[in-house]
Amino acid sequence: MPGMPADSGGAIVPFSGEPKHAASALPVRPIRHGVPPPISRVYISWSSGNLLQVACLRPPSPEEGAGRGAEEVAGRVVEVNLGVGAGNGSAEVEEEVDEAEMRRIEYGSVPAFALLQSRKNALADAAAMQHMHSVSEHAEWWQYVLEYSKTIGNLLGNQDSLPALMIEDPRAILKVREKPTSLKAAWELLEIFYVDKELHSWLPERLVDWLADYDSLLTKTDGTVYFKLNNFQKKLINLQIVENDDDYWNGLSAALSVGWLDVVVNMLRFHGSYQLGQMDNRETENGLVEAVAVLVSTMPRMRPDLPKGKLGQCCKTRPDFIKAWEKWRGQVSKLECSAFWIQCSHQKTRDGLKNLLHIMMGNIKDLTAATSHWLELFASHFLYIRPFTVGFEGMHHLAQKCIQLKPSFDTNGLTGLLNGILSENPEVVLAECTKKFGPWMVTHCMELLAADNDYADIMLHEERPNFGGISIEELHRLVYAQVLCSHSSTWQIAPTYLSSCLNQGLGLLEILLLKQPIQDNRLVLKTLELCRLYELENVGTNIMKIAGCYHWKHGRKGTGVYWFQQAHDKVRLDRIAQQLFERIGKSVADDNFKQWEGLLELLGSDIGSAGGLEFLHRYRDFKRSLQQALEGRTGEAARQTVEFLIQQLMRNPSTPQRFWLPLLHDSVKLLNCKPRPLLNVAETTLLLNKLQELSMAKLRPDFCSNHLPSHAL
Amino acid sequence: MADPPSFRRHPLPFSIDLVRWLPSSASSGRLLAAAVHDPSVPASSRLSLLPLHDPASPLASLPLPSRPTALRCSPSVLAAATSSGSLHLLSSSFDTDSAVSVPGGAGFHVGPVRGLDCGGEGWVTAGEDGRVHVVSDGGDGRVVARRVWDGKGMSGYGAARWASSAEFATGGAGCGVQWWDRRKGDAVVAQCKGVWGRGVATGMVHSIDIHPSRKHVCVVGGSSGTIFAWDLRWAQQPIPLSGVGLDETAQPLCESEVWEVLFDNYTQSSDIISSVSTRILPVMLCSEDGILAIVEQDERPLELLAEPCAINSFDIDPQNPSDVVCALEWESIGVLTRGRDAMSEE
Repeated sequence: MPGMPADSGGAIVPFSGEPKHAASALPVRPIRHGVPPPISRVYISWSSGNLLQVACLRPPSPEEGAGRGAEEVAGRVVEVNLGVGAGNGSAEVEEEVDEAEMRRIEYGSVPAFALLQSRKNALADAAAMQHMHSVSEHAEWWQYVLEYSKTIGNLLGNQDSLPALMIEDPRAILKVREKPTSLKAAWELLEIFYVDKELHSWLPERLVDWLADYDSLLTKTDGTVYFKLNNFQKKLINLQIVENDDDYWNGLSAALSVGWLDVVVNMLRFHGSYQLGQMDNRETENGLVEAVAVLVSTMPRMRPDLPKGKLGQCCKTRPDFIKAWEKWRGQVSKLECSAFWIQCSHQKTRDGLKNLLHIMMGNIKDLTAATSHWLELFASHFLYIRPFTVGFEGMHHLAQKCIQLKPSFDTNGLTGLLNGILSENPEVVLAECTKKFGPWMVTHCMELLAADNDYADIMLHEERPNFGGISIEELHRLVYAQVLCSHSSTWQIAPTYLSSCLNQGLGLLEILLLKQPIQDNRLVLKTLELCRLYELENVGTNIMKIAGCYHWKHGRKGTGVYWFQQAHDKVRLDRIAQQLFERIGKSVADDNFKQWEGLLELLGSDIGSAGGLEFLHRYRDFKRSLQQALEGRTGEAARQTVEFLIQQLMRNPSTPQRFWLPLLHDSVKLLNCKPRPLLNVAETTLLLNKLQELSMAKLRPDFCSNHLPSHAL
Repeated sequence: MADPPSFRRHPLPFSIDLVRWLPSSASSGRLLAAAVHDPSVPASSRLSLLPLHDPASPLASLPLPSRPTALRCSPSVLAAATSSGSLHLLSSSFDTDSAVSVPGGAGFHVGPVRGLDCGGEGWVTAGEDGRVHVVSDGGDGRVVARRVWDGKGMSGYGAARWASSAEFATGGAGCGVQWWDRRKGDAVVAQCKGVWGRGVATGMVHSIDIHPSRKHVCVVGGSSGTIFAWDLRWAQQPIPLSGVGLDETAQPLCESEVWEVLFDNYTQSSDIISSVSTRILPVMLCSEDGILAIVEQDERPLELLAEPCAINSFDIDPQNPSDVVCALEWESIGVLTRGRDAMSEE
């Protein structure tokens, strides 16, 4: 990214290469770097997540380089978080699902996704053996996908998670529930149509159930059955005689049209004729209300079972249903033609109840009037006009008709999604998901789309040259992985998705791992664990080397050497050993003995002879023993030290010549040792010979002078 | 103990690095201290007081200068050390006004302080910079930090634990475990490289625990799923409890970093008679690969949890040893209730 120091106030302004974009359109973020001008260089690089590291450097002052550094900053690195404040217009779903909640969903979907992938791979291996064409031909596959879908669905919000209230308000029309999200609604829609094979015979009823759960999400402007009832609920507190209110009857017909039978029956019981004082003179009226309520609650439904609290009679098979349906319809029309209506004096009750009967008889005009949104009208068709609608074509045709009658502006993507599904157009479904629900949804819903749909399967998995040889599925997974990588908490789950991308995933995974910060040892260990899981040993070794260099440079030599050792970095360890060897040979002062002793300890003995480390270990042992001898002043310890000196060091040809002088210097201490002489004649001669050899060497041009006290020689 | 353990996960809107039980009274309910940070907000590290029944809404918070790296609770004081080398102490009633701190820097620690424990003369701190301090009460609400050792970067410490009032153990990268005796001139009196899995000579020590009734035995957790016990009486022979490649036939309990180890008083040693002196008592551990388990010498390990994400920290409630709380990598904490208490809790 190009960048340059701006003149005004030292702010750094990013600019794009294209001059067409006016500078005013670019978000300008002033950075407080605190480095006094002039600034000569600016470096910008990506750190983890959305963090951008901006380094501002001053020109180096030539005369007083190191001395001034402490007082005045020569430069500074500032971290800029680009995620905060800069509105990310990724998906509208973000509005109703906040960031932390979205991260919870992202974390939770990892195990389900990983399980499904491993099952898919296992089945693919089995399919290859049995010469089958695809995984989806396996009988158990769709059940695996269904299990996956249910797990993810639960993650998106559990409708039944709220504890039921002990005492329910008898006047409550709509049950208080967790607020539904369109993300969950969309997921369920995909599950209903693409995965659950057992549902196919009662798909219309399933759609009615879905609408009951998510009706409130359909639109914010046009009004829905849910909003009608919600408004009436608010009004209800102040109403004395409900049956005189038009909204009461409108609410009833609306609820009935979309099949919320329990709501209808409950609302009918609000009718004034039920009140104790009124029973006597409104007997007929009450009888009619009750008759309608009974009819509503016994409506035949073609489905295996009903959830608790819902009304209707279940019919498992088609013949059963037809029989029950005809009988029920007969009862409805009988009541409609009944003579009791004349005796009903309350006009609004009469009209309202008759309207309900017309809805039950499937009168299109009344259904159209009762519903608000085209999806509600769509559902009412299934309930009262065409209960046997099956197949996408028929449904799509019906949907088009309903849209014509009740056009609406789609804001949340649900109706667009349904349209795509019904028109059997997985491309449209995918596009709607991308547009409205973001990368998480797309990545995870592709499994549903391809579960039992060969066309979608091919569409998603075909490698496309215009995408650089990757499939649509891989493309979306890569995009999602990028989103995960941009956050410092979720980057750790990105490898799960990257590793499922055969073409480019592994390369990106390596880059991701290598880009992780190495300052914190715990984070390095977490990154290394990922390297281990994905068998990226080379990457792990590189990370350890980088971490080692970092710690070494910052003075934590122990940690640095530790990482080099873990990485089996022979080159760097040998260099450290070499440096150590050279430094020790230069000085004989005892105060830094402790320091190099520690480093020697760290390097261990298995480094080999490359840096003369073997000798250094012997030298260290001699130094220790000398120290003990001088402190303890016991004859035995001193004697052992002398033996060590002569046998291990002086007579050993591998002892470098430059160490002779320090060793001789140390031996002087031993010579002075009381009470008896420690060195015999031969040993003294050996030492003297060495000394002589050194004195001769001093005359040679390649002699390197040691920092020895002058009296040593 | 017939009832199966119950486990509950609480998703939180922030990351938890470390978690500890706080001493609780009947009135306050059960409380947790947690080192938290919000990944989407820079510089949001803090120490929070979380109620067990609803950990997502902290009762109080103390801001910290950087990410916490160690957290310990003594009966009266809660201490947290950070990655910038500072130490923060406050009363365990979480009275944030009472908080005192030792700032990080040249005078104290530079870089993360991973070892922290209360005992002896105060708090011992051991940092990755190779320094060891003892921080004690200096009167008038001040604290005084005394340097015990400066390794000058030659060693980096990852754990510290008091054994008695004068002895403590430290562990770190490459240096194994060291035993310090303050009566012998603040020096290391014994050292042990440890037994590391995967055939490596050395590993990183992340956690040490010492049982109050057996002060000569350390149990150590570290790299490559390694857990070993070190008995000072046989200082040359650490006892491997778990690790990769230690036993060719058995599947190792965990293969990645063991973040924390604690002696588990709740698990009865299977061999009570011989456990009196020589056997190592049961040890609980948590690991990067999401394992929470109990290991015992010469016994099959008991796996309590196998989470899909790392368990970074855990704590056994000292007042209620059947309950374990753990901090999960995926912005949540888990509460495990073992044994018969499981029924009365629900």
